[in-house]
Amino acid sequence: MNASKSTRVIQIALQIALAAFVLLPFFWMISVSLKPATEPFAIPARLWPQDPTLENYVTAFRPEFRTYFVNSMIVSGASVVITVVLGLLAAYSFSRAQLLIITVLMGGVVLAQMFPHSAIIIPFYKMMRAADLLNTYASLIIAYVSVTLPVAVWMLRGFLLKLPVSLEEAAAIDGASPLRIFCEIVVPLARPGVIATAVYVLIVTWQEFLFALSFTSTKEMRTLPVGLNDFIGQYGIRYGELMASSVMVSMPVIAVFFFLQRYFVAGLTAGAVKG
Amino acid sequence: MTRKDNWLIWAFLAPTLTLLGVFLYYPMIGTVIESFYDTSFISPEPRFVGWAVYEKVLNSRQFSEIVWNSVIWTLGVVVLQNLLGFFTAVLLNQGLPGQGVIRALVLLPFVLPGVVTAILWRFMYDPQLGLVNSIFIRLGLFEDSAAWLASSDTAMAAVIFVAVWKGFPFSMLIYLAALQNVDKSQMEAATLDGAGALRRLIDVVLPAIRDVILVNFVLTLILTFNYFDIVWVLTRGGPQNATHIFPTKIFETGFGQFRFGEAATYGVFSILVLAVLVAIYVIVQRATANRRPVA
Amino acid sequence: MKTKLLATLTSSAIALASAASAEVTLQFWDNQQTESGLSQFQQAAVDRFMAENPDIKVEVTTIPYPEYQQRLLTAVQGGNAPDIATLDQIWVAAFAEAGAVADLSEAAAGAGLSRDQFFGGAWDSASYNDGLYGIPFNVDVWQFNFYNKDLLDAAGVSPSDLTTFEGLRAASEKLTGDGKFGIGLFGHRGEDTVVVMNSFIFSNGGAVLDDAGACALNAAPAVEAMEYVQDLAQFAPEGILNANSGNMRELFLNGSLAIEFWPALEQPTLQKSDINWGFVNGTAGASGKGVGTFGGWNLAVFESSAQQEAAWKFIEFMVREDVNGDVVDLIPANKAAAAPFLEANRQGADDIMAHLSNANPRPLSARYLEVADIQMTLYQDVFSGANVQEAADAACADIDALN
Repeated sequence: MNASKSTRVIQIALQIALAAFVLLPFFWMISVSLKPATEPFAIPARLWPQDPTLENYVTAFRPEFRTYFVNSMIVSGASVVITVVLGLLAAYSFSRAQLLIITVLMGGVVLAQMFPHSAIIIPFYKMMRAADLLNTYASLIIAYVSVTLPVAVWMLRGFLLKLPVSLEEAAAIDGASPLRIFCEIVVPLARPGVIATAVYVLIVTWQEFLFALSFTSTKEMRTLPVGLNDFIGQYGIRYGELMASSVMVSMPVIAVFFFLQRYFVAGLTAGAVKG
Repeated sequence: MTRKDNWLIWAFLAPTLTLLGVFLYYPMIGTVIESFYDTSFISPEPRFVGWAVYEKVLNSRQFSEIVWNSVIWTLGVVVLQNLLGFFTAVLLNQGLPGQGVIRALVLLPFVLPGVVTAILWRFMYDPQLGLVNSIFIRLGLFEDSAAWLASSDTAMAAVIFVAVWKGFPFSMLIYLAALQNVDKSQMEAATLDGAGALRRLIDVVLPAIRDVILVNFVLTLILTFNYFDIVWVLTRGGPQNATHIFPTKIFETGFGQFRFGEAATYGVFSILVLAVLVAIYVIVQRATANRRPVA
Repeated sequence: MKTKLLATLTSSAIALASAASAEVTLQFWDNQQTESGLSQFQQAAVDRFMAENPDIKVEVTTIPYPEYQQRLLTAVQGGNAPDIATLDQIWVAAFAEAGAVADLSEAAAGAGLSRDQFFGGAWDSASYNDGLYGIPFNVDVWQFNFYNKDLLDAAGVSPSDLTTFEGLRAASEKLTGDGKFGIGLFGHRGEDTVVVMNSFIFSNGGAVLDDAGACALNAAPAVEAMEYVQDLAQFAPEGILNANSGNMRELFLNGSLAIEFWPALEQPTLQKSDINWGFVNGTAGASGKGVGTFGGWNLAVFESSAQQEAAWKFIEFMVREDVNGDVVDLIPANKAAAAPFLEANRQGADDIMAHLSNANPRPLSARYLEVADIQMTLYQDVFSGANVQEAADAACADIDALN
């Protein structure tokens, strides 16, 4: 791109403004996480605490935090794998079948995205209780797979629609079975879309709160978003520890995100190109 | 797949359809049925009342406010998030120094849990202790602090701002990816024809990524409409009902006041309003798309 | 139910005598109100209970306060209630009406527990339709007027000025300015908004509901009190409509707020701070004395529990004079436990006792939460500068329409 010098200066200024817009709240979050509990908040707000300390991180990194962390990893990890596998299977059917009923069912999948969670949580809870699954990983994984599947199917279907069907047709002429075509041709080609969907599911489930709260009762089973509320009482919030924990909660996802960024971008576009 | 592969089609669909049927449709249908009963925690025996709860909800003073707020909230977030996401994507696609780092950092708000985002911003907005007013005052934009979340005039704008801050990286990411696929030769041809940056954007880029815009809008529309954490923690739907939207109303009615029948009714209305919004958007989008000349 | 509980109590006594090894497990749910690390002490008490009752095992689940109501309700609706839980005073009537919690009257009578051993307002909050659906566990009262001594001295205000409507207004005016705020009013959509405004109404001789259960918020004493608070709002920090008691605490702690409204629970926080503080018992209007609003939690046994007799034993233990003070962070509801608790943990124990004994409960209605929602709307109208009489009339129409 050719740009005059003044355009370039404006662009760089805009980029800096953008970074400030995004990062200022984070900067403050870190600032609060370093503030000793005894240091009151100042008027006007102080950008950096007078006596920064890591004590909030020490408190926040308690044994419970590690338990919550492991729980979150297990629940999110399993949900990602199951959602992506089931979503890919369904998306393949939705993208290749030319039947009216399939179109109708796809409409049903899109509609299911619109259900408000607080309107379905009690019946959902009753089913989990009937199945004796409350306070287990399974209950959360089932819930997360169910609520993320519609978007996953949608994203993956868009991606599969963009893959050239000719490859599959050629393989079919060569006598390959449909199942083999799926495993050996479609799945490898779908990798960027799979990773995009996986990151989406990871981010959603890593933050999920309502189901995690309702289905777990013991500290041993809680996930990170619920665990953060340990610092929120009826009569006050321990901002320092809450923010220290939040920094620690965000880091793993950011790390995964940085690692997978390239694929995520590619996958999302492909999925998005054909809605 | 061919016709005789039908079994495979259904075998692949079976797990997803079963899960959605059992865990989303079955509870939702139960909720729809419940909306015709006058049920609450304190009168557990369900009593069939037909459309009575619907009439009650429709006639309540709050209903139109909640519909209106939900529409403003959703459209505000979706439009701003997509605009900001789009322009950020364009900006971060210019090959400027530091672009790689900033592209990555911009994603931070997206991965922060919703509840934490809201607590952080509630503090940012604090009239006395918050950073927002402190910055405005230091920059000389205001003389006195303003209570953004405490005024009916500004509360909705303030919660929308937070949701956009948290959500725009997602839109940016999708647009950034879409921009990679814009045909370079078309861009160059347009430049040779003497088209400025804005013309190129309108004539070449926008048509090329039209489908991406459609999907992005519909996806953010649905996710935003049902988004609960930010509004609940920032304002609980207040001041007065200035920021009460369907998800906060459903939660407050059901879990805050133990009125399950009425909460179910709000849930049904919520799906109707959302479906109408999505339908309007898709219809308008298709209509304008058909009229627009292909670049 | 009463007979059932009595029968189970009797049979359990027999069962205990015959087979001491029969083990039951109780699920006890509590909410976490502060960040004081109370659960450790609670666990110590639970261990002590289990040592005294080797045949009973207790599993404690602590749920953060903001989610407690939703979590408990989901469990009850889902048929999975715990055996015992702490219930906010304002929920007891609804849980009783729903048939979710057991009537404990006979068990209490059998164990010799009666109203005079507890703070009366707390005991009354557990009473509904001639039944007793909980045993008071902890209490507190909204509000004490905590003040910053240094700011008061600098403005020439005496703490006793804060005890009357006129005095508080004059003091707030003097204390406002130079970047300082006179009075920490808050009016977000939350229960703390309701209890503080209630307290001004009570202190002016008003009520939320009259003796017949009709709305009294549009009667003269209530309207006058609300008009008084509306006027007072000019001396409060900007942003009342989204401020809560926690926001005011942060301002009080950094020395920019002269007067904040909190229950006695605020004291441990203030004791840890550098603020030179004191408190008075509310502010008297036409009634001649400051009347607070009662708050606190009751222990309830769920009707669905298969171990109601063991659950009752646990409750009896938790409110016992020598235990109650170790397991609460508000104030023990057992008066005999409250006195030493206050001596050990709070300043001005006698004043606190007086304010507690003088406090009014919130309406004991199964639909209280709906009443409170209407009150919040009214109080937000008041803080928005609406005509108080008109807003109160509208609120009363809504409240009376509930019945």
